[in-house]
Amino acid sequence: MSLATGTSRRRLRLGGLALLAAVALAAVLVVRFDVPLERIFTVGFLNRTLMLASPIALAAVGGLYAEKSGVFNIGLEGFMIFGAITAAATLSLVGASSQLHVWLAIVAAVGVSLALTAGYAVLLIRYKADQIVAGLAVWFIGLGFAPFLASLLWGTVRSPGLASMNRYSVPYLAEVPVVGSILFNQSPLVVLTLVVVVAAWVVLYRTRYGYWIQAAGENPTALDTAGIDVNRVRYATVLFSGAMAGLGGAVLLAHAGTFIGTGDTMVDGRGWIAIVAYLFGNYNPIGAALAALLFGGLEGLQVQFQTVDIAVSGRLMGLLPYVGVIVVLTVWGKTRMPSSVGEPYESEE
Amino acid sequence: MTADAPPAVRLEGITKTFGDVVANDGVDFRLERESIHALLGENGSGKTTLMNVLYGLYDQDAGTIRVDGEPRSFDSPQDAMAAGIGMIHQHFQLVEPMTVLQNVVLGHEPVDGGLVDEDAAREEIEALCDRYGFDVDDHLETPVEELDLGTRQRVEIVKSLYRGADTLILDEPTAVLTPQEVDGLLDLLEELRASGRSLIFISHKLEEVLAAADRITVLRDGRAVDTVAAADTSRQELARMMVGREVSFDRPAREAIPGEPVLEAEELSVAGDRGLERVSEIDLTVREHEILGIAGVQGNGQTELIEALTGHRVPDAGRVRLRGDDVTDVGRRRRLEAGIAAIPEDRNAEGLVQEYDLVKNALLGNQTVPPYANDGWLDWSAVEAHAEEIIEEFDVHPPDPSATAGSLSGGNQQKFVVGREIGHDPDALIAAHPTRGVDVGSLEFIHDRLLELREEGLAIVLISSKLDELRALADRIVVMYEGTFIDEVDPTGTSDAELGLLMAGQRLDEGAERETNGRSNLEGTQSESDAEATVDRRTGGDGER
Amino acid sequence: MSDDPGRVRGALDRVAARLLDASVYERVGIAVGSTGLALLIGLVVVAAAGHNPLLFAQQLVVGSVGSTGAFTRTLRFTTLFILAGVAVAIAFRAGVFNIGVQGQLIVGGIACVLSILWLAPFVPNGTLGGVGLTLVGLLAAVVAGGLYAALPGVLKAYYGANEIITTIMLNFIAIGIVGWAVDGPLRPEDARSVRTEYLPEGVGLPSVVFSDPNFSILGLGLALGVVGVVAVGMTRTSFGYDMVTSGYQASAATFSGVDPQRTIVATMTLSGMVAGLVGAVFAIMVQGYFIDPSGIGTYGFDAIAVSLLAANNPVGVVPASLLFGALESSGSHVQIHSDVPVQLIDGIVGIVVLFVAAPELFRMLAKRTGLGGEKG
Repeated sequence: MSLATGTSRRRLRLGGLALLAAVALAAVLVVRFDVPLERIFTVGFLNRTLMLASPIALAAVGGLYAEKSGVFNIGLEGFMIFGAITAAATLSLVGASSQLHVWLAIVAAVGVSLALTAGYAVLLIRYKADQIVAGLAVWFIGLGFAPFLASLLWGTVRSPGLASMNRYSVPYLAEVPVVGSILFNQSPLVVLTLVVVVAAWVVLYRTRYGYWIQAAGENPTALDTAGIDVNRVRYATVLFSGAMAGLGGAVLLAHAGTFIGTGDTMVDGRGWIAIVAYLFGNYNPIGAALAALLFGGLEGLQVQFQTVDIAVSGRLMGLLPYVGVIVVLTVWGKTRMPSSVGEPYESEE
Repeated sequence: MTADAPPAVRLEGITKTFGDVVANDGVDFRLERESIHALLGENGSGKTTLMNVLYGLYDQDAGTIRVDGEPRSFDSPQDAMAAGIGMIHQHFQLVEPMTVLQNVVLGHEPVDGGLVDEDAAREEIEALCDRYGFDVDDHLETPVEELDLGTRQRVEIVKSLYRGADTLILDEPTAVLTPQEVDGLLDLLEELRASGRSLIFISHKLEEVLAAADRITVLRDGRAVDTVAAADTSRQELARMMVGREVSFDRPAREAIPGEPVLEAEELSVAGDRGLERVSEIDLTVREHEILGIAGVQGNGQTELIEALTGHRVPDAGRVRLRGDDVTDVGRRRRLEAGIAAIPEDRNAEGLVQEYDLVKNALLGNQTVPPYANDGWLDWSAVEAHAEEIIEEFDVHPPDPSATAGSLSGGNQQKFVVGREIGHDPDALIAAHPTRGVDVGSLEFIHDRLLELREEGLAIVLISSKLDELRALADRIVVMYEGTFIDEVDPTGTSDAELGLLMAGQRLDEGAERETNGRSNLEGTQSESDAEATVDRRTGGDGER
Repeated sequence: MSDDPGRVRGALDRVAARLLDASVYERVGIAVGSTGLALLIGLVVVAAAGHNPLLFAQQLVVGSVGSTGAFTRTLRFTTLFILAGVAVAIAFRAGVFNIGVQGQLIVGGIACVLSILWLAPFVPNGTLGGVGLTLVGLLAAVVAGGLYAALPGVLKAYYGANEIITTIMLNFIAIGIVGWAVDGPLRPEDARSVRTEYLPEGVGLPSVVFSDPNFSILGLGLALGVVGVVAVGMTRTSFGYDMVTSGYQASAATFSGVDPQRTIVATMTLSGMVAGLVGAVFAIMVQGYFIDPSGIGTYGFDAIAVSLLAANNPVGVVPASLLFGALESSGSHVQIHSDVPVQLIDGIVGIVVLFVAAPELFRMLAKRTGLGGEKG
């Protein structure tokens, strides 16, 4: 396949090496600290990893679309916060807790994120706002207004228990060991994420819209002279990235069932991790999703360690994904970015 | 060609201004069907502007466009394309990481069931290539970034044909090609004409225009001077029309003979940004009172060689010596202090901080050099005096130290940079394209200064893509090809055609046979190499929009 | 160039002068416009939430300058914002996005507290010992903050790791580790809240002018001193020129002999040193001990807004800090005296940053409304 260039092959090899290193580390842990690995890497862990990875993967797919088209959407974290608070507020306001209402809350979150992203996109594309500063601003606004809204609604920055998304379970099939539990006893949102990831790959590499997105980020003039409006393509991808980040936030909330607005809110850096996930995945939606899985797994380890009574502070264990991000960026930092990222496009005259 | 058929394109009274600058002033132009029409003029004479108007990139202030006799107005390149006009820009409009096939169909993708129908696209492109004898279909699945410039250009042409262009505009198509590739391109143009296409060929190179075109329109200062049949004119006449006066470009006499070695490189190997070796075991020596010219097609390792000499890039192997001292491991700042000055390849990005005024720019490179800096503290009054000195001596306009660098014309920027870099008595100077995009007055001025410096004893490495510049200034010329010096020649005894062969990687002994048997459009043009020298009359590439 | 050169020169001078004026006016205009518009949006939100916006506006004023106490509190926050703002400005000016001032100030603060607590037993009581310990604490904070910032600098310079993301991650990590330590090994057994031991008597900055125990004019003086040093360093030294030129145009700086990698690391280190100082001033002047860093105000983030408002000019940071100090101070007031959730202020700060990012928006607004039309 033409897309498997030398760099992506090298990445796969490096990824393999990283995996080996992880296995070696695990082996050391087992021997040195007598850690019961079989109790850490359980089917439950895999399932939790999938759930933890979903919000990151969704935001990452959105972010990579925007960046592929030439706009660095650094506001993913902020839009995730908006997605989470919107979903929580919707659930709280409708006051009902059926699965249908959870879906409604998710749709509302995507809608609100879309609306906010529209304003953001106009600032970025029409008014050529500094993409880095504006993206940070979205984060700050989210960090301020989400707890603000929570306080207005619930009197505190933390919501009461809200409805959460249930797993579906296919009778009999769910009983099949490992595979059954993963495929047939799963959160529908994990499946939704999978569908989004695959669809994003197909659109990006197999449809004309994908061609346009790639051209808009690499050589906008070439796209312009081919008769396609570059800024229209960019508006579309930025809107999509906001919607996906909002969806990611909503998924996070729908899995957690409570909104937490303390500190960096419940999103807690997942939007930033999403950016690293797509860099790590070399701007390929499937690669980004696999990277999200890695970070989800690091996050999931915290619970596993607690269940096997390893005396490591949960707070310290919770830092693993952040450390992982730094390691990934250090080893894979020199990603080939689309050449025109960050440059506003104006056709002559 | 029937007599009563309307011309493919007819422009009448086209006027286009940018602010106060009149780029086109009532230009008439008539492109006959099935012909190759050259648009000849110096940089800044308005050729590209005129074609951008025709291509819908600019709106003309006055004048009409007719295509096939019909008056048309184009708001965008899409409109022009719909009327069958395609343009191949000097900077290719290709998406480098995407494949050739994807680039050709971009914006006009055949779709089947929502997905791009690559098979249908492939068939159509292959049919096109078969018809015109293109080799582009050999690379359909290759990302464009892996192709050489000549192939990329053919991809651009195929792209235009795929979009249904009957009239093709080629903007300086030979600028990036070796002389041999130029021959191939000219053959291709004839092929296209034979199949019924009409072509406009923008150039400032006389010999190409004479070899390729049926008719030639010369532009000067935004006006069409005249349109002549190629068969009825001569190089001298065209040159006079382009410049408005007789042009001569003599090699100045030189007095001093080269002395002690100043800058030496020994088995120097340098890797490029992507980690591939771009310079392979090069040996180089420049002496006092000597200008060493380096010729070569861009991208054959010149940039990496320059950077290894100036101290901007750490070589993989080999040594660099300054007056015998090993400076291989010494960074740019200390090499600069030790006396290796450098005129940057890209003055906009490297030579000047665009938003700084000239005073602040006069400090650039001198941050640690007394009297401008003493123990880390800056003396701005000394810097300002220095800026005024440069402005005075190099005749920089406007003569205002508080003007920002970005507000100066290309020629004045370059004079300022040259003045600054040689300001503090270096031992060696690495001059990369010192007259790129510079008007003819500044060009002569810079040439004179370089020769004066040579007389004073400076060792100069001159990298240039202008063969006549090298021939006029250099004591020796080495030709760089794929990271090595393929040969060293005497500037006075070597023709453009010979240099061209070397630049294409053929040694003269092996190339000689081929050249006599094969056809060469450039044969016989070596005696006069006036075109390049006169091209950059106004503000050069920067002025041309 | 056949015109009379004198006339041309004169015209050029006039154009240049106007451009310069316009850009200074424009910057101030954008800063004022951004803040004004953001506050306006905040008031609209207050109204939409069912509260009285006028009352809220009044509380903002009362809470920042309405009394000596409020004003001292404003100065206290101003001090922190000046230092944090300068930390950000150093990096941004050199084209490096240090978003990690928050983490660096936390690391600086804890280093300050720990070094003082560890050394206290070996130092005589009394003023001299107190002053000595204070100086040691400041020094430790500067070193620790600098080192913690040097890490992302090295990762960016030599491994190409995007500093925006690494510094944000390092914020999370600093909060996590210091938070764990303060709640665990560093927490005294008798402490009812999450905190370290108290700093010994005598350590601190004396309140010379105001009687607020959490503010000292010496702290403000220190901050202003740092502003002066940084401003002079940026404009009058070779290193400052290297740094600022790297920020304007990295390629030109590199060509002129600046080592880009070393400059990135040096810039980050300097920025982190000043950030560490914020933590020390917070610990010594404001708190008197160290707390769970997730509970520390987000000075490091708000400082980004401060620096941007000041166009990353260290001197401009002072008025911008005064504004943000007032905003933060009124936030403390609002928290107690109003039902409007105080997080609104953080949101307003975010909106300020958003507007500062889009100067084109204001140019358009200015043109539409005819304000400063001649400039456009």
